[in-house]
Amino acid sequence: MNGPGQTQPDYGLLACDVFADELVALGGESPPWRALTFLEMGLHDHPDQLRQQVQSSIAELEATPGISRIVLAYGLCGNGLLGVRAGRVPLVIPRAHDCIAMLLGSAARRQALMRDVPGGYFYSPGWIRGGRVPGPERDAYLRDLFQERYPDDPELVEDLLEADRDTFSHYHTALYVDVTQDDGARNKCQQCARSLSWSFRMLEGDPAWLRDLIWGQWDAERFLTVPPGASIALDGEALIAR
Amino acid sequence: MRTVKAPNDMSEILNTLTESIKAGKRKDAKAATEQALSENIDPQQILAALTMGMDDVGRRFKANEIFVPEVLVAARSMKSSMELLEPVLAESGYTPDHTVIIGTVEGDLHDIGKNLVAMMLKGANFSVVDLGTNVGAQAFVEAAQTHKASLIGLSALLTTTMTAMREAVALFREQGLAAKVMIGGAPITEQFAQDIGADGYATDAASSVDLARSLVA
Repeated sequence: MNGPGQTQPDYGLLACDVFADELVALGGESPPWRALTFLEMGLHDHPDQLRQQVQSSIAELEATPGISRIVLAYGLCGNGLLGVRAGRVPLVIPRAHDCIAMLLGSAARRQALMRDVPGGYFYSPGWIRGGRVPGPERDAYLRDLFQERYPDDPELVEDLLEADRDTFSHYHTALYVDVTQDDGARNKCQQCARSLSWSFRMLEGDPAWLRDLIWGQWDAERFLTVPPGASIALDGEALIAR
Repeated sequence: MRTVKAPNDMSEILNTLTESIKAGKRKDAKAATEQALSENIDPQQILAALTMGMDDVGRRFKANEIFVPEVLVAARSMKSSMELLEPVLAESGYTPDHTVIIGTVEGDLHDIGKNLVAMMLKGANFSVVDLGTNVGAQAFVEAAQTHKASLIGLSALLTTTMTAMREAVALFREQGLAAKVMIGGAPITEQFAQDIGADGYATDAASSVDLARSLVA
């Protein structure tokens, strides 16, 4: 098992870019992975694409010399990880629905928040950096995109922007979760909340789950290990290898 | 007095209507619908033109060519046309044979997909009772009984709310509901549908219509 002060990193880390800041912070000066691949954030909106990209990145990481395991900084992510197959080496994946559960430190805490604040929309420094979460940067990005696509129809562009804002009309609270004390991201999140007339709520992040993921503290309760040849699957609500 | 429209003009109007839906131009869609109705074009053909437009939008969304807001403006255009068309359809004897109860399951507020499915089902001549978002299992049961529904459609976007879907289907079975159950949403898979005992699952709004038709056949 790996851990701080280990001898030789022997795993490849495949992570969603949304975790870039957290993983770099938790990995410290001599990170525990031998190779690290990031995939763009937001692929959970297209689970088939996510699955495909994860699978091909696994194949690439496996080809790196000295890799005896691949660790996935992913959850179910819209079920985009279901069906992902381990090739030559085992996979390790947190038993999480998504990044928010991991940043909060437990699935139970995420479920409780969903229940208690059903109109809450989760933000994290990574999502803020991506600039696609509800707020001014998203508006500006979409305005540019639609103006380029429909240059002769300003009315349609306004309709499209209004339609986008409508998709978030059920939300009323920005739930900001951070394990890196990123003041810049927090300020931006507050701006997002203000621009939407939502309230802002700061949630204390808990780095334990992510830290244990990268430092090899893989207990079966929080992590699934998928042996070579098997795939990630669901049995009822439980993540299993099949 | 009914004037028969020359086929070319007719197909031109219907083509304009389909294109307006595809482009999400609500005013144009409304105008084309009004024109089609004033020209006495068969309302079922007008409906088919609308559905053809939405089908195309659904296909382009699935292929990642367009974004959610583009689907939504198309849907709104279809909705405004449907408001004009529905009374005429009803008058011409095109009345729904089946009622479907639809909603997002408890805990899930994401209704874009559900709204699209509801509209496509309406377009396919189902009577749609939309219970909205965050709907408890018991509310589905009561609505299905009240409206003598043939079908219940459950939607969930989050893997975290799929549990509610399982519980809802279990309750329907326990209560002995006659209605068939279809489910959908980004994280839903065929396997999951089978696991929870749903009668069917569809990957997108257009195929939900085929599924609904087959379930009530």
